[in-house]
Amino acid sequence: MKFLIAIGSKEYSEPTLRLGMRVAKAFNAAVTIVYVGEKISAFSTSGVHLAQENLKNWELDRQGVDVLAWAFKYLEDNGYLSTGSAGEGFNIGRLVQTDEDRCEVFLEGNHTQEVRLILRNGDIIEQLRDEVNKRAFDITIIGASNKRSMAHDLIQYIDSSIFVVKNYQPDGQYKMLLAVNDAPNTRKAVKYGARVAQAFDLYTTAVTVSSTTDFRENYKKASAWADKFLRRSGIENEIRLEHGRFMEIMSTIAGDNHIIVMGSSTKSPLAKFFTGSKPLKVMKHCKCPVLIVKE
Amino acid sequence: MLGFSHSFLSNFLFWVTRKRWLIFTFVISLLLFYIPSPTTLTPEGHRTLIIVVIALILIIGEVIPLPAVAILILILEVIFGIDTPNGVAASFMSDAVFFIMGSLMLAVAIVSQGLDKRLALGIIRMTGNRTWRIVFGFVAVSAILSSFIGEHTVAAMMLPVALTLVRNTSEDKAIVHTLAKLLLFSIAYGCAIGSIGTPSGGGRNVIMIGYISEFGLGNISYLDWIKYAYPMLLIEIPIAVLILWVTFRPEQTILDSAVRKLKVNVAKSGKMNGNQIMAIFVFVGVFFGWVFLSPYLGLGIIALIGVFLYLSFGLIEWKDINRNTNWGVIILFGAAISLGMQMKETGAAEWVASQALTGMGNIVEDIGIQRWFISVFLTGILTNFLSNAATVAVLGPIILDMGGNPVILCLTTSIASAFAYLTIVASPTCMIIHSSGLVKSNDYLKAGWKLFIMSMAVLFLVSYLYWPLLS
Repeated sequence: MKFLIAIGSKEYSEPTLRLGMRVAKAFNAAVTIVYVGEKISAFSTSGVHLAQENLKNWELDRQGVDVLAWAFKYLEDNGYLSTGSAGEGFNIGRLVQTDEDRCEVFLEGNHTQEVRLILRNGDIIEQLRDEVNKRAFDITIIGASNKRSMAHDLIQYIDSSIFVVKNYQPDGQYKMLLAVNDAPNTRKAVKYGARVAQAFDLYTTAVTVSSTTDFRENYKKASAWADKFLRRSGIENEIRLEHGRFMEIMSTIAGDNHIIVMGSSTKSPLAKFFTGSKPLKVMKHCKCPVLIVKE
Repeated sequence: MLGFSHSFLSNFLFWVTRKRWLIFTFVISLLLFYIPSPTTLTPEGHRTLIIVVIALILIIGEVIPLPAVAILILILEVIFGIDTPNGVAASFMSDAVFFIMGSLMLAVAIVSQGLDKRLALGIIRMTGNRTWRIVFGFVAVSAILSSFIGEHTVAAMMLPVALTLVRNTSEDKAIVHTLAKLLLFSIAYGCAIGSIGTPSGGGRNVIMIGYISEFGLGNISYLDWIKYAYPMLLIEIPIAVLILWVTFRPEQTILDSAVRKLKVNVAKSGKMNGNQIMAIFVFVGVFFGWVFLSPYLGLGIIALIGVFLYLSFGLIEWKDINRNTNWGVIILFGAAISLGMQMKETGAAEWVASQALTGMGNIVEDIGIQRWFISVFLTGILTNFLSNAATVAVLGPIILDMGGNPVILCLTTSIASAFAYLTIVASPTCMIIHSSGLVKSNDYLKAGWKLFIMSMAVLFLVSYLYWPLLS
């Protein structure tokens, strides 16, 4: 599997990197850590490139290199790099320009298969989408953003599962909340959730929400399947069948101490664009990390 | 839905959301096309203005690459019947475009010589280790240098000097964030102030000189420009220092150890080498060429002579120039100037000018103030959202059609287009300091609005009190 972890700064991205790497380790995934710098106006590209080239003569790093160096240090300190990669240290000379606005450092992972550090510039959604499309990532992990359209754009346009690390407290006692229904993505979501729950040893609640008191047969079947799968995986869990508003129930159960895992919406992209979707609402309103699993 | 796959729809929606300005442009241009031409405007003028609207939206939105905007302008000029293909081609290339091309290439050649370390040493020797004196040195040196060699060349050379001083002060960004802003804005605003000093300070100055010459409205020599504009540059330096100091007052009032470390760092580079001496010699030659030969050869050709000398003396390799020159911008400015010419030819510029003056006439009666407001305030605002050269290329013909002294209007417009203090996209220097990651977008407004107002006031005073003494 391939995971993409987007980081923004040393100050705010530590929880994202920490949780992202732990999840990647659980899946034994290859990891790419990407820093996306701000878009450079087309009028200024040559001026900025000229200034950046000149910085090298003064042994100064361009913006973002310090963030990658910090990420490297984190990986090194936490044993995510092989002895060979860690021993060499972070060296700006290893940053290879692969595209006009993309540089990368290739490293060998310890627990994970491989680790890449990437520096890009531009609109974050465009850059993440391009990276995901080119290298077919399974999960994109990113911190929560204050930008209103960010959650929408991530779900709508990034063709991978999305894990938004929102309000994650590294020392917090987390549980897992799985949203289960009869949608095709649910099984994949349960499998992903189970893997994370095993790795983090999380108590899991699988909740099925119906808008009426009358539960459809398919909902009951899906809930029973989830229960069976979780028990077989050795995960301590409870199954809940709730009726009412999906968002309210999820938000109440999740509080701020759950990791929510749910399948992506099966609505058409046009319908999602205009009317939104349940995963989008969960991502916007819940106060904890959310993993939206896509097909 | 309608047989389209989810993947297709998702890609389509992504395209639509990213290209919404392009779609908006298409819709608005269709609407404008079918609106009947005003009786006082020729059909060609009407269509030219449609192209202006299209170009402005696409340039501000940056939804398609800049060369694509340029190509679209040229295509539409022919398709709309504004000019013949040969006429459009002829208006596309001018001395102003040669100058922009030459100055961008000269920038690469000069920056690659490593003269910035000499510059750093010179500034530090002059200013000592007091922060306010260093800031004064940064603003003054950036302003004076950029008046001759262009803003982004100076910004590219000064950026590492500022960042080294910041890093030498402390590695902890929290401790030095105000100092970093102070030094970086000293560079950006110093460069902006300096770009008004001579015609070679910016491509927009050359564009305006080209317009008044092409339209048969007069001529302004390199030295005349200096006589008009340089005093304003000198007045603005202490004002900018004061505004920056008040806005970003740092905790560190003395940069003793940072300056010492910088001196050690610079000393490592040894004595000035032959290439550096030759590079300075060539540039001084170019400068004297601009001063004494530009009436005969043009500013652009002289800049290209400089590039030729740098290349033929082996001071720079073509691949370096090719890699670091923004060819898209050159093509766009060529197309923008061509559009400016067509605005004049078709009467579109005159029509917009008369409409603007009529509109302004409802607010103030004095025609002089009306002209001043349009040429200074409108240019100053637009330059903060558009490239300053593109602003001048589009507004220049309109402003020159407002009547009054064309030389004065040429100068006020060019000078106001340097008031690019308010946004990151206002100029390459603003973007260069932003690329350091140490200044945020709202920092530009913090100091920028004060300098913007002060610059307008200084320009007003200079144009009403000093310039009349020259004519």
